[in-house]
Order: sequence, then C-alpha cells, then structure tokens
Amino acid sequence: MATPRNILPADLARLLCAGLTCSVLALGTAYAETAAAPQTEGQKQAAEGAAKLAKGEDDEPHIGTMPKADAHRVYVNDPAHFAAITQQFIIDGASGNVLGMTDGGFLPNPVISNDGTVIAQVSTVFERIARGKRTDYVEVFDTETLLPSADIELPNTPRFLIGTYPQMSTLTPDNKTLLFYQFSPSPAVGLVDLANKKFDRMIDVPDCYEMFPTANDTFYMHCRDGSMAKVEFGGAEPKISHSEVFHGEDDHLINTPAYSMKAKKILWPTYTGKIYPVDLSGDQAKVDKAIEAFTEAERKEGWAPGGWQPIAFHRVKDRIYLLADKREEWTHKDPSRFVFVIDAKTGERVKKIEMGHEIDAINVSQNAEGTLLYGLSTGDRTLYIYDEETGKEVRHVDQLGRGPQVITVSDMES
Amino acid sequence: MISGMKTRSLLAALALATLGATGAFAEDKVTVPSHDAVAAAEAPKDAVVVNIAKMKYETPEIKIKPGQTVVWINQEAMPHNVEFQAGVTGEAALKGPMLKKEQAYSVTFNEAGEFPYHCTPHPFMRGKVIVE
Repeated sequence: MATPRNILPADLARLLCAGLTCSVLALGTAYAETAAAPQTEGQKQAAEGAAKLAKGEDDEPHIGTMPKADAHRVYVNDPAHFAAITQQFIIDGASGNVLGMTDGGFLPNPVISNDGTVIAQVSTVFERIARGKRTDYVEVFDTETLLPSADIELPNTPRFLIGTYPQMSTLTPDNKTLLFYQFSPSPAVGLVDLANKKFDRMIDVPDCYEMFPTANDTFYMHCRDGSMAKVEFGGAEPKISHSEVFHGEDDHLINTPAYSMKAKKILWPTYTGKIYPVDLSGDQAKVDKAIEAFTEAERKEGWAPGGWQPIAFHRVKDRIYLLADKREEWTHKDPSRFVFVIDAKTGERVKKIEMGHEIDAINVSQNAEGTLLYGLSTGDRTLYIYDEETGKEVRHVDQLGRGPQVITVSDMES
Repeated sequence: MISGMKTRSLLAALALATLGATGAFAEDKVTVPSHDAVAAAEAPKDAVVVNIAKMKYETPEIKIKPGQTVVWINQEAMPHNVEFQAGVTGEAALKGPMLKKEQAYSVTFNEAGEFPYHCTPHPFMRGKVIVE
C-alpha cells in the first residue's frame, strides 16, 4: 500500500479546483505512488513545490487538462458494489498516475473508443439519490477537459441494470453510434447517434445478449440457444441471421469475454477454461476450434478461470491472457492469482504469470513493444501493473474507489 | 425501515381493496379477478389453462372468445408470471404476480384482439392470447 502523502500548496490548489468542478476532476498529475520508482510522484511534486517556494515563485492554481491518450491509457471503472453513484479513474499505466476522474450514476457502462477520442458512458440517476424518477442517459466527455460534451437522454429508462459487462454497451467502428442493451420487457438494442447527439431508436432482437460491432451498421450477439446472431441495422428493418449453435447447454460461457473489434474476434472462455475463438470477419460468425487453457491433469487439480473480467487478448501479439487459479466449482467470480498466457494461433501456453495479489480483472495495453499487463484487485481497490514480457509487477495505483471491477483500454495500434 | 415498509404495504393493500370494491382491476380490455397468486385449485374452473413448465408457456399461443378467462398455472419450482406491456391490455402495463409451484393467475379478456405477453424475469418466455 502507498504511504500517506503530504499535502503541499500545489496539491491543495488542485484539490480545491477539483472540489469546485465537482463532477469533473482533471487533476493533471496524480496521487498514486509507484512501487519501483526511486521517487514517488508525491515526492517529486514536493521537491518541485519546495524549489518554487525557495525561488519565490507564486502559486498559480488552475484546472488541469488531460494529456492526449496513448497506448498506456487505462480506464478503471468502479461499480462500487451497486452504489447509486460511481466513479471512473483515468490512469497513465506507464507512470501509474491518475490523470482524471469522471462521475457516474448507477452501474454505468463505460465506453471508450479505440482511438481514445471518445470517452462516454451509459448511466442512470434517480431524482432522490436511489429513488424517485429515473433517468437513463448517455454522457460524452471532452477528452481534454473531461467536461461533458453531450448529454443524451434515453426514453423509457431502457438500460439493463446489471453488474458491469463491457460488451453491454459499445461503439461502432466509426465512433458515431453507441449501442446499449435492454433486457426487459424484451430483448432490444438501443442506438444512440453520437454524431448528432440524439437517441435514435430501439431495435428488437432475439433472445440474445451483448453486442460485438464489426461494421458501422452491423453487430453480433450471443444467443440463449448457443448460436451467434448477426444484426444488420442499416435498413428500415433490422436483418437478423443466426450461426450454427456452437456450444452445449452445459457449456457455460462467462459474461465478460475479450473482444477485439479490429481483429473482429471474440475470445470466449467457459467456466472450465475452454476458450472459443469466435471469428466475426466473414458473412456469419464462425467458431474456430476451441482452445483448452489447461491440461487434463490441471483440470483435475482444480485449475479454472475466475474473476470478473478474467480474459484479455493482445491483437498484434495474438496472445490470450486468462486469469485462473485452483478453485472449487461455482467459485468462478472469485479472484485468481495467476495469468496463463496462451498463443491464440497454436493454443500453446506461452507462460504462466504469478500476479502476487488476488486479482479480479485483467487487461493488456495493445502496443506491441512495452506491453503492460493490468491486474485489478477489487478487494485491494488497486490496479497492479506488470511488464507483460517479464511478468514482473512494475507499479501500482491504489485507492481506486470502493470496488473497482472493469478495466478498459484502447487499441491504437495499426 | 421495517415500519415504513409495512406502511407502504398497507397503503398498497388499501389501494387494491378500494379498486376491488369498485368491481375492478378492470383494465380497458381485460378484467383481473385477483391481483394475487392463488392456489391452482382455486382457479376458475371454466378457464382456459396455460401451464408453465420447463421455462416455457406450454401453449404459447391460444385462441379464445371474448368474455373467456385464461388461467396460468406454474408447474415448476422456478417462479414465473405473465406481463403484458403498456398499451396491450390498457394504458399501463399489466404485471402479474410471481407464481410459485402450483399457483395460478387469471385474466378475463373482454374484447377481441391480440395480447402478447412475457415472463418478467425471463423475457425469452413469450406467449400470446388471441381473442376472436
């Protein structure tokens, strides 16, 4: 854990700014301290502040802005164990600094574009904290100031209120349309026109869940019968078709698969560590041969995936990262202490990384060189950051809300 | 907190009783004899039965005449209900109570028309009453 920091005048000014802006925090630099760095960010700022004071420089309080996003930008969403209001932390994985924060309502779905130019969320608020009139809305944030650049109300409170599944809200490749899922009273997908800042329409869909966009007018879903549905919504009526059923009734696919929109590929693990590679690059979803993450002997020992977001995929390296541990059956939402790295092409295991902490969610930065592996501990409320190649923990960011669960990264690599 | 909940329940019960006294629960197009789940044995004897089992309405589409009553009877431990969306039976949605095993819920259909419905927690369970 980080040591308590001293609050210096410069820090105080930032906090004051933060307090004044209330809903938007653009702290500029941050509080998180790195484990490996010889000097923490706090110590660095203390030294800079002392030097300025010694030189007689006046303190100039200001509201900071966000630097341009890069491959190491990482977003940590805190659903806060179903609290009525929530937070998202925007972090520079390379330094371990918190760059800014955004506020959310009840179980918001964060949506981040692959190029880092759209930070949005689908959220829900009530007029009396957790009761009274409910409002569902989409909020888009300016990426430099984190001020809201759009606030789009969704009619008839259509959001699916559920523990945060990343693919329950998503963007089309051109970032112009945001999709969100409705569970009740019937399965549907809402379209929000971000370009014109307005709600577009709801599309009725079959009994299918989660959205995986492949084109600006096409997305796929996973259906109760074990098939994938393709939904083309460019015309007046959506065109819906189904793939073959690709898994059995007792083959339980987790709620939070990894999806690379650029690769048009889903990596979808089951409770036992079978991973279905779902190829969305053709006319219909095609499921390649399933990869077994564990040997038969390991399965007998109890090795199985577990956590909230237990799988990540590195598109350029074509590697799968599966968070796993030895566990009892039906403990698949408990944290794990290991990440199994698998070559997605061959299905062969590349290595096994011991995380050193109870990790609930993982993700990876998508840059080919200097890739970072992120491990988020909901219990520790800490993002642990690892060198993907060596598997060594290089820094961490703590105090990330009350129960952080979801890590989002952008895929900026060409 | 507990007393607050009790008060609300009481108010709700009073509101239902008042409605009941006016002879109703009458929506625009249907009449609901009881908003509560009743034992299957107490269901109207002349009603058309739709059994619920294995996460399905056994006869998802039924045809009846105006004035006839449909009774849904849950045959399994998994609770189910019937919900008609807003605008189907009246202006508001008609959300039936959750039925435990061997409990029933009835609706009398007064007018011709098509009345699609679903199970609230299982929206993939769908059915339709066609009144000819």
